Amino acid sequence: MRENIEKDIIAIISEVSGYEPEEIKPDTNFFQDLEVDSIKAIEITVAIEKKFKISVRDEDVPKLATVKQAMDLVSKLIEQKKT
Amino acid sequence: MAKPDKETYDVIIIGAGMSGLVCGCYLAKAGLRVLIAEQHHKPGGYCTSFRRKGFTFDAAAHSFGGYREGGILHKVFSDFNLHDRIKITRYDPSDIIMSPDQTIRFWSDIGKTVDSLQGAFPHEGENIQNFFHFLTHRQPTEFAKLGKMTLQALLRAYFTDEKLQAILALPILGNGDLPPSRISAFVAAKIYTEFLLDGGYYPEGGMQALPDAIAQRFKEYGGTLMLSTLVKKIKITDSVVRGVVLGNSEFIPAKCIISNGDAHQTFFNLLGTKHVGREFLDMMDKMIPSQGIFVLYLGINPFSELPEPGVNCWFLPHYNIENMYALSRSEKNIKLPEYYMVRVSPDKKTILAFVNTPFRNKRFWTQKKNAFIETFIKSIERNTIPDLSQHIAYKEAATPATLYRYTLNYRGAAYGWAGLISQFANRDLIKPSFIEGLYLTGHWTTYGQGIAGVAYVGHSVANMVLRAKAH
Repeated sequence: MRENIEKDIIAIISEVSGYEPEEIKPDTNFFQDLEVDSIKAIEITVAIEKKFKISVRDEDVPKLATVKQAMDLVSKLIEQKKT
Repeated sequence: MAKPDKETYDVIIIGAGMSGLVCGCYLAKAGLRVLIAEQHHKPGGYCTSFRRKGFTFDAAAHSFGGYREGGILHKVFSDFNLHDRIKITRYDPSDIIMSPDQTIRFWSDIGKTVDSLQGAFPHEGENIQNFFHFLTHRQPTEFAKLGKMTLQALLRAYFTDEKLQAILALPILGNGDLPPSRISAFVAAKIYTEFLLDGGYYPEGGMQALPDAIAQRFKEYGGTLMLSTLVKKIKITDSVVRGVVLGNSEFIPAKCIISNGDAHQTFFNLLGTKHVGREFLDMMDKMIPSQGIFVLYLGINPFSELPEPGVNCWFLPHYNIENMYALSRSEKNIKLPEYYMVRVSPDKKTILAFVNTPFRNKRFWTQKKNAFIETFIKSIERNTIPDLSQHIAYKEAATPATLYRYTLNYRGAAYGWAGLISQFANRDLIKPSFIEGLYLTGHWTTYGQGIAGVAYVGHSVANMVLRAKAH
């Protein structure tokens, strides 16, 4: 489950940033390492919401800065949806 | 019938609006064979100029932003080596807001703008400072949060004074066509940073100089620009683009198609239901386009009472912005809204004024246009330029129907899709996942509005195409 989430998130980040999936590690910072700007950050948020059918709140948007952070947030939101 | 000797283009771009030109120029510079097909007889889309009775008028866009060091237009000029080709002047202040109680000026020196606002609203002094600091020191993570907020929420997070909030919301209503309760705070922040804090730039000779210069460079990079050339169809087989069919039924093959036209026509007409799923078309049908604008063009005999040339003067009749917006959309109360933007051209020979208004239909505008011109002139005369009507040598107007006629923008929409939170960064509107080799660029992608916004999109799309080609 968690591996699938990671794979999906990396695919999204790769598509939006243009960097190859192999270059994207759990701790890669989108902004510092992948030239993600604010527009691409919104694009990543929208794509993650659509992919996992979740809704990210505005205060959580800045938490989407690394793959690991994104995985934590997505897992948490998927869990919350179940309950 | 395809001409047998015709080379296959790497890329065909439909539409020579600013985004199509910027995108095409990057691709041609990278060595791709690029064709841009434009239905109008000149490039530029909403960024064109025209001549009547010896006067030169800008059709819609009347200044641009994002030209400071680090701004997207500055980058475009540097990348295409255009700085020496066009002389750009920055008019200062770029914008003035005339409210019932104050006149606020937006200066090139942001500190001076802060002073101007603090002088008018001393009790909001520190908040004004913080707000402008936020806008000018934008952190991508903090800015991205704005994609989830309305402008109203953003303004309320900084200010308590309703009048100040209305003043700050007016240029967003004019340039974004939505009131604070509905517009995405991100779209609004882009308007602040790209129109107001880094705006007011004007090319010598008129706005047409901008697309002309990029088109010229595009050709020098080996690109082909076909004007007065309508694209009728995008040809698809097995969900892969194959080329375009022109108005004269000529087929031109290409591996990649970029539509700088409106998304509605791209999917419904150029592609059609056979290639686009019903679900996607239904989604598009539910999306909301921005309204059109009514643009007044006046040729004037010189007189002394004119406001400063090159400055966008915004008239705020009262502080109820939400009500102003509601009136601008009202189907019952058919008149122009009370707010407007008026601007004396840098050559001091013409005036452009505009206000947001719905598309309605061609017949409506044929009937109402002249009466609206007179009402609009009277309103400007009453509120901004005394005795204006005595100095008019020529008057004309563009309605949303006119905008549609010249640019084919869906329902004469001035800014593409409305800047709602739900209508931002929809990837299927920039690179549809269901058709290989198809991209969109411009203000219908949901990624940017205004000249700086669409230039950013054009540059991004060029990068996407180059990356895809490298694979």
